[in-house]
This record gives sequence, C-alpha cells and structure tokens, in this order.
Amino acid sequence: MIIFHNQQLPLFKQLLLIAITSTFVITLTKSLTAQDDLLAQEERALQQAVSQVAASVVQLEVLGGLETGNDGPVSGLVVSNDGYILSSAVNFRPSFTSILASTPSGKRATATLVSHDYNRNLVLLKVNTTEQYTTASPVPHTEIIVGQWSIALGKTYSREVVNQSLGIISATNRIWGKAIQTDAKISPANYGGPLIDIQGRVYGILTPLSPRGQNPTDGTDWYDSGIGFAVPLIDILPHLDTLKAGKDLHSGLLGVSLKSGDIYDLPAEIVAVQPKSPARTGGLQKGDTIIKVNDVLISRQAQLRHALGSQYAGNTIAISVKRDDQVVTTKVTLVEKLEPYEHPLLGVLPDRNFEKPGTKIRHIYMDSPAQQVKLQPGDIITHINNEAVADHNALRLVLSNFEPLDELTLTYLRNNEPTTVSLELGNIPQQAPTISPHATPTTAAAADTLATGLIDLKLPEEKNECVAIIPTNYRHDVPHALIVWLQAPGEPDNENLQAQWAALGEQYQAIVLAPQSADPARWNPSEVDFIRKTIDNVLSIYTIDRNRIVVHGQQAGGSMSYLVGFSHRDLIRGVAPLDASLPIRAAIKANDPGERLAFYAFNLKESKLAKASAAGLKRLTAAKYPVTAVQLSDKAGLSDSDRIQFLQWVDSLDRI
Amino acid sequence: MSRLFVKRLSILRPLLIATLVLSGLASSSQADDLALASNTVQSKMVKIYGAGGLKGLEAYQSGFLISGDGHILTVWSYVLDTDYITIVLDDGRKFEGKIVGADPRLEMAVLKIDSQELDHFSLSKSVVLQPGARILTISNLFGVATGNEPCSVLHGIVAATTTLNARRGAFKSPYQGPVYVLDAISNNPGAAGGALTDSHGNLAGLLGKELRNAQNGTWLNYALPIAQLTTAVEDIIAGRTRPRSFDETVKRPENPHTLKSLGIRMVPDVLTKTPPFVDSITRKSVAEQKGFQPDDLILYLNNRRIDSLNTLINEIALIDKIDHITVVIQRDNNLINITLPGQ
Repeated sequence: MIIFHNQQLPLFKQLLLIAITSTFVITLTKSLTAQDDLLAQEERALQQAVSQVAASVVQLEVLGGLETGNDGPVSGLVVSNDGYILSSAVNFRPSFTSILASTPSGKRATATLVSHDYNRNLVLLKVNTTEQYTTASPVPHTEIIVGQWSIALGKTYSREVVNQSLGIISATNRIWGKAIQTDAKISPANYGGPLIDIQGRVYGILTPLSPRGQNPTDGTDWYDSGIGFAVPLIDILPHLDTLKAGKDLHSGLLGVSLKSGDIYDLPAEIVAVQPKSPARTGGLQKGDTIIKVNDVLISRQAQLRHALGSQYAGNTIAISVKRDDQVVTTKVTLVEKLEPYEHPLLGVLPDRNFEKPGTKIRHIYMDSPAQQVKLQPGDIITHINNEAVADHNALRLVLSNFEPLDELTLTYLRNNEPTTVSLELGNIPQQAPTISPHATPTTAAAADTLATGLIDLKLPEEKNECVAIIPTNYRHDVPHALIVWLQAPGEPDNENLQAQWAALGEQYQAIVLAPQSADPARWNPSEVDFIRKTIDNVLSIYTIDRNRIVVHGQQAGGSMSYLVGFSHRDLIRGVAPLDASLPIRAAIKANDPGERLAFYAFNLKESKLAKASAAGLKRLTAAKYPVTAVQLSDKAGLSDSDRIQFLQWVDSLDRI
Repeated sequence: MSRLFVKRLSILRPLLIATLVLSGLASSSQADDLALASNTVQSKMVKIYGAGGLKGLEAYQSGFLISGDGHILTVWSYVLDTDYITIVLDDGRKFEGKIVGADPRLEMAVLKIDSQELDHFSLSKSVVLQPGARILTISNLFGVATGNEPCSVLHGIVAATTTLNARRGAFKSPYQGPVYVLDAISNNPGAAGGALTDSHGNLAGLLGKELRNAQNGTWLNYALPIAQLTTAVEDIIAGRTRPRSFDETVKRPENPHTLKSLGIRMVPDVLTKTPPFVDSITRKSVAEQKGFQPDDLILYLNNRRIDSLNTLINEIALIDKIDHITVVIQRDNNLINITLPGQ
C-alpha cells in the first residue's frame, strides 16, 4: 500500500507509481554501472585490438658490428605471410653482421635486409623460414583522425608478449608529409613496431623522424617525449613489390633553387635551375614561380617542400608555374641524384659602391674568360644574353644557371659605349686572388652612434658569452664581411683576438664575431643554433654583406664551422677550418646553385688531422664545391700574412 | 479505498529531482571513478624527507602505510641514510621515522612511525596486473606536494611485464627480478617508493628508483610487484632479519668466528654507524679463497641484516666457529652470495 499525503492511493495509481519509480531506479543504476563499466569496456576493447595485431609484431635481434646506441632486441611488423618484415632504419647500424627474427612458433630464424626506404627511414627484411606469419590491415587515410586512440607496440622485453604504450593521434601530415604524430611513448622499446587503432588495424610503422634532418638517428632525442612518429602503412604498401625486389627507394629531387629567405613567407620563385636536372628537362626557368604540384596549390615555399618531401625518385609529378603572365604546366620525373653542380667563373669582382644599373668591375681574375675578352676594371656589365641585369647580385644569380664551358654573350659599357662579346665560362680557381682592399665610398660618412672596437654581444636569453670586434672606421653604408670565429677549446682571450684582427678588419672592411661555447672545454653540436642567433643579432645591428659571411674555427671550432656551414646554407657563404677535418660520416649535401658555399682550409703540416682533413677536402671537391687549401708552417696559428691572404679570399667571395 | 485527489506535480516533483540528481551523478561517474580511486589512495601515502640535497641528489622520496600502527613501505636509498627521517602524512602531520629494516636485495625498506589507526594498504589485498591494464602512480615526484597537499597522480597502462636481468647487464641495479614496465613517466626524482595501483586504487606495486637502460640510454619507468616484496616485508616486521645480537638474551658460543681468523680486515670504525666495507683481505685466507675483495659491502650474515660495522662484529661473535656463514655482499651494483666454511 502506498500512502501519500496521509491518504491511500487508488490501486492503479499505486501500481503506476511503483512502475515509474522502479523504471527510474533501474535505468539510473544501469547507467551508473554502465559508466563504471565504460573504463573497463574501453580497456577490453584496447586489449582486443592489441591481441589482434600481436602475432604480426616480430622481435628482431641485430648482431655484430660497432656498438652504437641500442644493442637490445628491436621490433618489426610483418607485411606479408611469407615473412617480409618492415622495421625502422634506426634499428640497423651500418656495421651489423646478422639479424635474427622471431617466428610464429616462437623460434628464431635468420633474416636478411632486402631494401631501404631512404626517404622514410624504413627497411624491409625477409625472414628465412617456411612458417606462415599473420598480417594486419592498414588504416585508410580518411580514417586516420586526430584524437583517436593509438597504441604503440613493440616486442623488445619479451619474444612472446608485446609491450605497449597508449596515446592518441596528435597530428597527420607531419615531417613534410611523411608521417603521423602520436603522443604514445615512442622509443627504442618500439621503434620499427606498429602503431595501431582500437579496431586492431595498423596506422603505421614507428620510427624516429625529424623535420630538420634525414639521417636514421635524427629524432631519437625525442624518445618518450610526447612526440612520436609513424609512417602510414597505407603509404608503403603500394611500394612493397618494389622493395621486395630489392630496389631501394630514395627521395625524389627536382633540381631547382628557390629564392633565399623565409620559407613560410616567400612564394616558390625559382632563382636557379640545375643543368641536367628534371627541372631543366621539363623546361622550368629562372624567374618561374611554382604555383601547383599535382593537385596541391602552392603559395609559399614551405608548401612546395611539403608537396615534394614525400615523393620518391622515379615519381612523375605535374608542376604548374607562373611565367610572366602565363601559367605553364609540365610533367617531370624526379631523380635520386642530381649531377653535382659547379659554379662557373666569369672572372670579375664587383665594385660594391656602384649605385647605378649594371655591375661595375673592380678587379679582373688572371687567365679568366673576362680577361680573355679584354674586360677592364671600370667597365660596367649591363646585359647577359641580351637580357638586362640590374646589379652584381642579379648578375651572380643569372650565372648560377650556367656551368663552366657554357657560352653566353655579355654587353658592357666603357666610356658610355656599349660592346657585346661572346665568351665561354671557366672554372673557379683554387687559389684566392691577390687584391687590394675595396675602396671606401667617396661620399662622407654619415653620423653613426653604433659601438665600435671590442664589444659585448651576449644574448640575454643565452648563457654563452659572445663578443665582436667592430672596425673603428665602420660606416653603415659600407657592407662589411662577417667572420665568425669559433676558437679551439680553451679559455677565450679577447685581447689577443683584438690585437690580431682589429687593424686588418679596418683595412678589409670585416667584422669579427666570436660566439663562445658554454663549456670552455668543448663545443656542443647543438650550439649551432646559438651561433645562428648571434649572427642574426649582428645582422640586425650592423650592415653586413650577405655574400661574405664566413665561419672560421680552429680544431673543435673548425669541426663546428663545418657543421654551422652545412646547417645554415641560407646564410653561410664560406667555411674556413683551421686544423680540423670534415666529420667522416657527415653526409655532404650537393652544391646548390642558389646558395654558394666555398671552403678555405688552413692545414698544419704535422697535424694528426692532416690526412683526414685532406680526405674531407677531396670529398668536397668531388661534390663540386670551390675549395682552397693553404699550408701553414707555424704551429702557433696564423701569422699576419696568413690572415691577410685569408681576408683577401673573404673579400673575393662576391666573385662572378 | 478512498478516492483522493492527487496533484500530479507533488508526486512527480520529488521523482524529477531524484532523476536529475542521479543522472548528474551517472554522467560524472566516469571521472569520479578515477577521482575516487585517487582519493582512497592519498590517505595512505606519506612524504619522506631525509639525507641528500647535494650534487643534484634530492633529499626526499615517497612511501605508503602498510599497517594501522604506522609501518611504511618505501625504497632503500641514500635518503634513509640518516638518523633524522621525517615522515609527513596526507593530513600534514609530521612524524619521526625509524628504520625497522631494509632489504637491499629488493631495494626496499620498512619504516615505522609512532601512531595508531592510520589508513593503510593491506599487502595481502594487493592485485596482480596484466600488460595493458590501466594504472595510476601516486608519488611525490619532484617534491611538488608539501605538508597536507596530496601526492601527484599519473595515469597510464602497464607496458610490459619482464625481469630486469632479461637484458643481460642493461640495468645496473642490485634487484634483477620481475618488474612492471609502466607506460607513464613515473620514475622521476622523488617518486621512488610511491604506489602503483590499478584504476580502482588497489595496490599493485612499489615505484622503483631511477634506472637507465645501459644498452640504449633510455630511462625505465617501472615498479616492483608487491608479490615480490611481501615475504621480505613480513620477515622484517617480525624481526626475522633483525641481527640476533640486538637481543641480549641470545646464547653466545664459546668459540665464535672472528674477522681475523677469516682474513677480513674492515674499514676503521670512525662514524656512529660505519658502513661495513671490507678494507683488505689477508693473503691465502679463507676469505680470499672464497672471493672477497676490498670495497665489498657486507649486507647480510646468515640472512640477518648488517647495517653497521658494530653490528657485524657483534653478529659474528654469535656464530660458532664450526658453523658455516652465508654472506651477501654488494660489489658495485651486483649482489653476490658467498658461503664461508666452518673451521
């Protein structure tokens, strides 16, 4: 009986009340426990996904060779039943001797490395077994969604049980279009293993990747950091047959140099097309602006990098460019390697004070094409192949589209009389020219309040010290060379530095910048970014000639100068190591028409590094960089005459 | 039955309110579930402060209560290497902590504070976890919590179960047994000794110390399963690993072993509690034969915990010369068992 307000309810109403109440209670209890169960249900679903793929994750043991960083077991993913395995290139140090892989029955079998995907840092292996593996299906692109559960699997702790890390998909289209990003913990515990979704399908293969470099170990310092990458399996499967056939996949190169500057701001304007490249074959020209690659519209250089970053050599792409007012479309097939490009020499040094249109000649190189056609200092070059060239920077860029032995016509003014000549371009000589210092402008110097002499340029946010020597005759209308001096390990001696360079800096219009390492005993490769910051700082205060920014270093500082030069191609035009060698395993990027880089090596005769240094310079020469080597006899360092020779080389870096 | 005029609203209103309240509870219960788990654990956690504070070695770690009378389970570390250990409870109360015993083989220690009716974990009620299971780690990593602030809670899953010796020398730790490898960045300074629980707050493990994988340079996040520790904890609390010499009524043999007859020379006893390091071994002695070396640290004699030189001398005096002695020593990061024969 139900009493309500002291009165008994009619039977029907009692039953109704009971029914309503119990329905509410039951529903709410169910939903409470259902919520309670949600965590448990989710856990079960994730475990089911893991168990679905677990058999396709393989434990690999990579044996032999030099120890590098990971000598424990590593992981791989089965991609075909007969035992083809994909893994990360980081798991295979170059010197390894053998690979063991786990089989479905729990035994171990040998495996061989079949091929490399050098663009995405993956490898394909084949296990020598007759046992049949199970494979997993890939997640299609449309279903790779940011925010979805993702589980990273490896088989490094045990040969039977996968180890797992739970996270989500953080982003897609990372590393220039090659990878998806996850916040699961990615480390040697799962490099080479799969990243899977809650349905038990594979998003991709886990591998360290970095937007800044393409070596197999780039990105390993981000392990367990909350940022990890997987190469989508759906992207690799179409190329599986190629990889199975033992053919390596390489990044596809086009052969254009774009205008130097901020890649996130500038449109993709071509300043140089490399001869013998797909771009040249496809008819792309200097001055074209790339606006479309396949279906992707390009309005900034970074977008072009994105469009090309994931392309393999051998891929054919459609490129549309804007030429004057027209849109031209062409098809090009990307290549694995471009022929090394060698800058040609016309044989002139420009007058930097010259304001009017054209290039005024300051100096003629001996035995050069310019000398052969009887050009003289004072002549003004106005046209190349009948096209007007505004100034010496423009002239330099025009010539970056030519190679030694190419023919062209040149128009110049002498006493206001134009003359046109034909000539064949030559090679840049090994020896630096002997030249007198550049003349100062004839106009009076404007008032200047900038500090000169030995000044402190320590950046507030960096703990490293940094000083600079500004010539006392500095004037802002004279573009100065910038020599970045990276000393050998030891305590800095600023007074000595000033004594050595102050007078010469005034003569040759050069600023010496000396950023110092945080630890006086050594340079840390990561200080490359700090050095860049100090250079940018000087560029913002003083007038620096961008054609003559050189990094000069001794011993460990010399090795750093190589590193800085290759890391900041857009800025550095010269590398001058003293008693240092190019790191043996450093990959040398090909000489770029648009971004010149020249080398001036000071070698000490009895140095232990003499052999390595010579070998390094040989490699640079083979890559078609201009290399000048000088022998020093004095172990104590540079003499004044050595410095003068060096400064003359720096002064000639704007050669044409 | 009399007919009565029932206002619909007056029946429905309380029902409506009840529904809204209950459904409100239902939708938030998923978050509440973990919050509930965390809350039940916090009252069992303690913050431990002791030795350290130099050269980047922090002077704090975590622990949790395992008895109502104030027994605390934590890791064996340099933080406890002092006479003044401070224990701070979840409610901010401070106590002086005393070491009841420690097992360096398991890298664990049991402390005690003088209190009653404290909220605690029952080791017998601990759970075993499978790979993939959701977990919480509760600890005072980085010493963020002070006073009555609750310890920090991290979530993750069990990444793998393995033994530390599976990687042949990768992990330099005296403990080489089974561990839970955790998918959470749990092992940070100060976290050692914290609690590993499932998503309902049931105890599963003791958070380990900072350990680096020597093979690939990565840091390991791990916990020791409670099952590995229970027997040793019970032995410690029951006094079974307590040196016999602490008991004055124990019978002393007429002809006991001596360090001299064994050929062991220890470091000079200059501190209040000089650690029992071997200084030198006499040539052609029993000790040399059995493999003792200078700088060995004596941890156990016949399964009794030797915490100081003084204890060693007293304990040896209770072992008859005709009996053999089982010794556990620590050499660098390895634990070595040596049996010295009777003479």
